[in-house]
Amino acid sequence: MQISSQKKKTGVIAPKRFVQRVKKQNELFRSYMHQDAHEFLNFLLNELVDILEKESQVPKSSSETSSPSEKIVNGLKNVLANGVHKEPLVTWVHKNFQGILTNETRCLRCETVTARDETFLDLSLDIEQNSSITSCLKNFSSTETLNAEDKFFCDKCCSLQEAQKRMKIKKPPHILVIHLKRFKYIEQLGRYKKLSYRVVFPLELKLSNTVEDADSEYSLFAVVVHVGSGPNHGHYVSLVKSHNHWLFFDDENVEMIDESAVQTFFGSSQEYSSNTDHGYILFYESIAPTSIKS
Amino acid sequence: MIHNNSNNGMMSSSSSSSSNPNLSSNNNSQQSPSGLKTYFKTPEGRYKLQFEKTHPAGLLHYAHGKAVTQVTITHLKEKLAQLPPTPTASSSTSGVRLAAARLLGGSNGSRSLSSFVGGNGTSSKSSFTGSYGRLGNTGAVSSTSGSPGISNYDGKGTYLIFNVGDTVYVSDFNSQDKDPIKMINFSNSNPVCHAFDPEAKDGHDLIIGLNSGDVYSVSLRQQLQDVGKKLVGAQHYNKDGSEFGSTIPNQVVEIYRLMENGIQPIVSGRDRYIRRFKEMKTDHIGELVCRCTSVSWVPEGDGNFIVAHSDGNLYVYEKSKDGTGDSSFPVIKDQAQFSVSHARSSKSNPIARWHICQGAINGASFSADGTYMATVGRDGYLRVFDYSKEQLICGGKSYYGALLCCAWSMDGKYILTGGEDDLVQVWSMDDRKVVAWGEGHGSWVSGVAFDSYWSPPSSDGSTENNVYRFGSVGQDTQMLLWDLAMDDIVVPLRRCPPGGSPTYSTGSQSSHWDNISPLGTLQPAPSMRDVPKLSPLVAHRVDNEPLSGMIFTQESVLTACREGHVKIWTRPGYGETQPSTSESVIPTISRDKPPSSAKVGSSGYKQVLIGL
Repeated sequence: MQISSQKKKTGVIAPKRFVQRVKKQNELFRSYMHQDAHEFLNFLLNELVDILEKESQVPKSSSETSSPSEKIVNGLKNVLANGVHKEPLVTWVHKNFQGILTNETRCLRCETVTARDETFLDLSLDIEQNSSITSCLKNFSSTETLNAEDKFFCDKCCSLQEAQKRMKIKKPPHILVIHLKRFKYIEQLGRYKKLSYRVVFPLELKLSNTVEDADSEYSLFAVVVHVGSGPNHGHYVSLVKSHNHWLFFDDENVEMIDESAVQTFFGSSQEYSSNTDHGYILFYESIAPTSIKS
Repeated sequence: MIHNNSNNGMMSSSSSSSSNPNLSSNNNSQQSPSGLKTYFKTPEGRYKLQFEKTHPAGLLHYAHGKAVTQVTITHLKEKLAQLPPTPTASSSTSGVRLAAARLLGGSNGSRSLSSFVGGNGTSSKSSFTGSYGRLGNTGAVSSTSGSPGISNYDGKGTYLIFNVGDTVYVSDFNSQDKDPIKMINFSNSNPVCHAFDPEAKDGHDLIIGLNSGDVYSVSLRQQLQDVGKKLVGAQHYNKDGSEFGSTIPNQVVEIYRLMENGIQPIVSGRDRYIRRFKEMKTDHIGELVCRCTSVSWVPEGDGNFIVAHSDGNLYVYEKSKDGTGDSSFPVIKDQAQFSVSHARSSKSNPIARWHICQGAINGASFSADGTYMATVGRDGYLRVFDYSKEQLICGGKSYYGALLCCAWSMDGKYILTGGEDDLVQVWSMDDRKVVAWGEGHGSWVSGVAFDSYWSPPSSDGSTENNVYRFGSVGQDTQMLLWDLAMDDIVVPLRRCPPGGSPTYSTGSQSSHWDNISPLGTLQPAPSMRDVPKLSPLVAHRVDNEPLSGMIFTQESVLTACREGHVKIWTRPGYGETQPSTSESVIPTISRDKPPSSAKVGSSGYKQVLIGL
């Protein structure tokens, strides 16, 4: 296969060793309990950041210079030297996955807009039946009115006021990870339920809910699929685009699939359906040449 | 409030259809058990759900996404009662085709021959009558439904043709009966697209394209007269479906041919591509071979039709001509380049190959007069060709993602497209660019159509020519209706749109909007802020399933969902009295009013002349 011949070149780790390392790192993964792919992704990315930060601190404390760390963090230059020394290290994880959201709150009394930035490694989107990722992203950035019990403390008015809040993407990440909230706590049932909704995801996507109307374009390159009807168990498979071909990974089986087969993982428009393979985490890569900036 | 550059005072960026007053003000008294309303309101009045057409329940639960239902509306004129033109008369107009028809009859076996000739030739009228009597009797016994179409001996009437799974169904448009009157089963692959030509001069008026890439042409009337569940009297084109495969590895094509001939090839498990192929069911083969995506008759095209495929190629066929000659075409040197090749052999059918794009062509549609052909595809581009000159005229890219459907306005001035960016795009042929984006669908737009029967309120006669009504259906289960007032939109476009920031007039963007692009060039995707937005006039949730297409007729609007449910919504003022004859639904078309029937489905608007 193509992949095996490429492993050495791109520095890919064998899956077995990866699993061993993960188990060593966290005892949660040593049992046969079912884990959530999104939680795992978070764990993995955060753990990587921790490790990279630790690695960069070791030479720093010994030599008092920042040059060794620069090599470790993938060619990052001057940011550490010029920045405040408390500033967190920008690792390759950040460079690839981190974006910045800005939370704009407009006080309805004084019209002052308060913007608060927060970083993200992925976007978790609420989903609706028979919707698209585009529409889920729109809802994510839709304007929400804060009133009644949920008023906003306006610094200018120095009091709780009604306000309008909306989330915008200030800095789109290089790799946009979209997590579909398919596992939802249903209050009437008192338990979690898997939403098998049909949510279509295009092979190309643009973020239109950005601060600057940048229209940055993304291309889908991987999908984590949850197989199963319930929230507590199931199976994960994945689709990965490699060298212009889509590959289907199911445990030790790897198969080439046609691009049009991606649509079989959109979900179901009927609640009870034999189709239980649903796209759960989507990976989009920016195809705009300018977006790789530190 | 992201986009304040709507120029016509309409609400912008209204993704939520529930904000529409036409919907929220409705009471719930007329809801069906599924929670779906049986009517929707427009400024001109109420559209009511009159009929539903579907397939026998529970028959199929095929894997979704494999074969999306498309609908074609067809009209069979009273033809058999009057004798068709004599052979000499028709040979004077089209001698080639007549010869081809004879050839077809000879090559298809005696059963279909007698049936075929009986339906068309004067010489064997007696044999036809005899044949009819027999069929009629058996039909009465074995008929699965009311069968008004079968009992109507000449098949005259208006019919809906729709595909579900591996079957094509025919329903009587004017009957209250939910069930189809005819089913045609395809055992080898799923039918995915079809088109009807009521002006067909010889028998074959219906073309059907399959997931396997195979194409058939048949006489609809002949299908209705047959009681079996198989296609009868069909001409088969692109027989092995993979004949023109340019994206498939050669060894896979070979294996496919072997398997089709009942030979199980021995292949090593080393090649995963082949292993995967071996494991595939017949239906999946359609993904490897170049499945049909759209078929259309060429208007005024003398029996020619086009078949678009998932490999970016479009083939031109001559009806009823046996493809005995060498049907190969030169290798496509540059997949990214548009090229047209004509068959080397004059006996070849297809007669031409248009290589249009990389990736699938998702829809193809002719302008009413047949001058232009528009295609939309996986690469997100709309392309408009001068069909007879075989030249690219203009085109442009979607905001993002594939385009799924396209439709012409009756006057050929505008093209609608719908796609994976959830937008309904209005393309102007005069300006050779996108002039509006309709925002309102919460998922992909799967069908678009202009309403050629709608006329604007006559309060202001001067603007009448510039107002269009169109509709769209989406995978969000909604049908939206839109009014396009070009006077309101085009003028502000020349200037900086309101809400545009000072950074608006940077190089590429302003040139995109201020200059007409040269002939034959494709435009890049416009920026979100550059395109005026439309908001829907009406938003109506039609079904619980994603929708796949819509058709406007004089009396009604038809919607179809992916799983094969067709709904007929009668216009205000119609449908109070039940139509007693088929004529009441057949639109009479004057010469200045363009042909208006259409095709539902992702391939978009197909013109079908009705009852001239």
